[in-house]
Amino acid sequence: MADFREQPKLEAAILALKAAGIDAEDLDVFSEEPVEFRRGILDRPSRMSLVAVVGAIVTGGLATAGVYAAQHNYSLPTGGMPIFSFWGTGVITYETTMLGSVLSTFGWFLWESGLLRKRDKNVPIPTVLPGVMCLRVHCSDPLIPRVRQILDGAGATGVARKEVA
Amino acid sequence: MEHRWGMSIDLDRCTGCEACVVACHAENNLPVSSPEQAEKGRTAHWIRVDRYYEGEFPDVRVKYRPVLCQQCDNAPCEPVCPTYATYHNTEGLNVQVYNRCVGTFYCANNCPYTVRFFNWFAPEWPEPLQLQHNPDVSIRPAGVMEKCTFCVQRIQRGKRDAATENRPLADGEIQPACVQSCPADAMAFGDLNDPESKVSKLAGSGRSTLLMGELGTKPKVFYLERAK
Amino acid sequence: MATSAPELLPYAKIREDLFRPLSNGSARYWITIAAAMSVIVLGLVAWGIQVRDGMGVTGLNRPVFWGFYIVDFVFWIGISHAGTLISAILRLTDAAWRKPVTRAAEAITVFCLMIGGMFPIIHLGRSWLFYWLIPYPNPRLLWPNFRSPLLWDLVAILTYVTGSVIYLYLPLIPDMAQLAQHNVPWRRKLYRILSLGWTGSDREWHALERAMKLMACIILAVAISVHTVVSWDFAMSIAPMWHSTIFGPYFVVGAIFSGIAALLLVMGTLRRALGLELYLTKHHFNNLSKLLLLMSLLWFYFTFAEYQTVWYGNEPSEMAVFASKIRGPYAPFFWTMVFCNFVVPFILLGIRKLRTITTAMVASVCVLIGMWLERYLIVAPTLGNPRMTSASGVYLPTWIEFAITAATFAGMLVLYLLFSKLFPIIAVWEFKAHPVEED
Repeated sequence: MADFREQPKLEAAILALKAAGIDAEDLDVFSEEPVEFRRGILDRPSRMSLVAVVGAIVTGGLATAGVYAAQHNYSLPTGGMPIFSFWGTGVITYETTMLGSVLSTFGWFLWESGLLRKRDKNVPIPTVLPGVMCLRVHCSDPLIPRVRQILDGAGATGVARKEVA
Repeated sequence: MEHRWGMSIDLDRCTGCEACVVACHAENNLPVSSPEQAEKGRTAHWIRVDRYYEGEFPDVRVKYRPVLCQQCDNAPCEPVCPTYATYHNTEGLNVQVYNRCVGTFYCANNCPYTVRFFNWFAPEWPEPLQLQHNPDVSIRPAGVMEKCTFCVQRIQRGKRDAATENRPLADGEIQPACVQSCPADAMAFGDLNDPESKVSKLAGSGRSTLLMGELGTKPKVFYLERAK
Repeated sequence: MATSAPELLPYAKIREDLFRPLSNGSARYWITIAAAMSVIVLGLVAWGIQVRDGMGVTGLNRPVFWGFYIVDFVFWIGISHAGTLISAILRLTDAAWRKPVTRAAEAITVFCLMIGGMFPIIHLGRSWLFYWLIPYPNPRLLWPNFRSPLLWDLVAILTYVTGSVIYLYLPLIPDMAQLAQHNVPWRRKLYRILSLGWTGSDREWHALERAMKLMACIILAVAISVHTVVSWDFAMSIAPMWHSTIFGPYFVVGAIFSGIAALLLVMGTLRRALGLELYLTKHHFNNLSKLLLLMSLLWFYFTFAEYQTVWYGNEPSEMAVFASKIRGPYAPFFWTMVFCNFVVPFILLGIRKLRTITTAMVASVCVLIGMWLERYLIVAPTLGNPRMTSASGVYLPTWIEFAITAATFAGMLVLYLLFSKLFPIIAVWEFKAHPVEED
């Protein structure tokens, strides 16, 4: 694990590590506020938009179908209106679609961020100080010297090594 | 064929005596208001007689119009009730289901004839009026909406009697309390699906008008008056 | 320089300032809560009397079947649009000045929705049966009527509440993680649980930012629809001067208008009470004031268009309502509304010399009064002047309605006071995120 205080140095370190063969999956940056990397340095592909849209359509569709079934199951004429109409139910379709997207987004966020997944208890989590960005590299033993070299070369402060069982 | 109940009121015969109002009170267990509540606008008259004054003294003319629930076929009050406490039954009646009413007041706001009434308190009758209750009609609790039902209890009784005696319903056999009590014989009630009934003939006559018919509510109370 | 760019303050000072309120309350704090609680208790007593004796204890009558409760309902749901506008729209347009304001705004949204959502229950003739509007399988084998705009209300508000709570909670998570080292043990536990084990890894940040961006778009779409649906409680009816196509956009504009006023008021109070002068600067109030002025002009445009159309059409049943508002018994309320909603903001906020934090707060209070009156003027005159003139009536509210209305204001105060003691009212992590930003 290494602490950085300046973003360009951190970015250089990451690029160098990737060039040395470390996978982006094994890299984690810890900070007290979000770090905006340029494109291509530490991209995390996200399926959140897709999940939100799918969740929205599914919920909206189910709700509309539910209203259709309910209206026909207990069909009482009122005011000369049709028992079920898409126009009349439009509001409910719309709102439940939105509700679906809200719940899917939140649910997927909990999953994608890793907050709700089972954590590997052995992996160390650094205490982050304000203004500091901590880079954690997960690699096998033989690579450690090379990693150390890159990190020192990039200007990291406080490089530490933690054993993982 | 299903019945389709309708009513006609002859405005040229109506004298404004309000016997219909009293009869309705007696038949349908309407609650009695106090003067204070009346001042606040809380009386309930399922049928009321509106008076319109025209001209200056001494050439004043008064016109009377009994207004009751028009049992509209396109009732604006029905679609807005969230619990189906009011809906249209197969005989064309706009039924009010007291048990299902939660008191959202939406139906009353949407009625252009303002013929819906709310039970602001639990109903009370000064002694000994409570002995006069009609057992065929439920007492409404506080918090529910009510309105004219075309005396649905009399309709049910009439249909039941005809069925037990194995005969068809005769025209004029079923009369709501207001129709029955009118001394000027201004009101008629019957089956609009029966072309021979008195109501059908009057409704189709040249003197037949609808109250605010232009709103498209398709009311089933036909007001007969001389065309001006 | 420090006052115009609070992000450049030393980080430790920011943390200290923004976390300081999260401690035991002062005497002033607890006295305020006690006073508010007594108002709430009075309101609860009033509601109890209403449930026990019937709706007759209110001033409702035939034909004015809707009164204060519906006015309050629309009013509170309207104010809830504050959070959505500030948080979502400004987040989407990347306006940096919104940063200290977002959480306070989102909190307003959630609490106003909670309070506003109580009124559909309070106004019922048989409140204890409110759950009949919820579609659930029941032994009576019946469903509610989805054709009713009241059911649309139910779905819309439920969606909005869910969305707003999530929208408030998401950016709260990183702050909860920071606060997990608090000195008070029960707070430590609370913050740790709420932080969901947030470690600050880039994966988490990335997911959070994506979620926030999505939620901003969604919540914006929901907010616009919610107040439109609320307006359709009126517009879908055929009552004179209710059945108007303009009600949808009119209510949304009015909601955003009253929402910004509420936000301004809350921000001004927080600034004074929590000592946040360095963070809520003249710059923020200037921008919010300009927004309020813009919404005032928009509101005036919609109101003018609505009344002009009615007057020119000269339809008898609509003119009866119109006359009662402009010249009749409701005239004092109508002209007060115009004064509060248009004249005051125009003068106090339109003239640059007059635009200060204090005048902005004064204008906000006026707008809130004006917007409450606007909702009142939508409900009561129409119902009091039905198409059948024989059924005309006047609405005279009783102490029950005043007590319950006052209790909701007190309730809002209590909820907000509690919130400000439990959670940092300014999102700390958002503050430092983009230190080099042009305002």
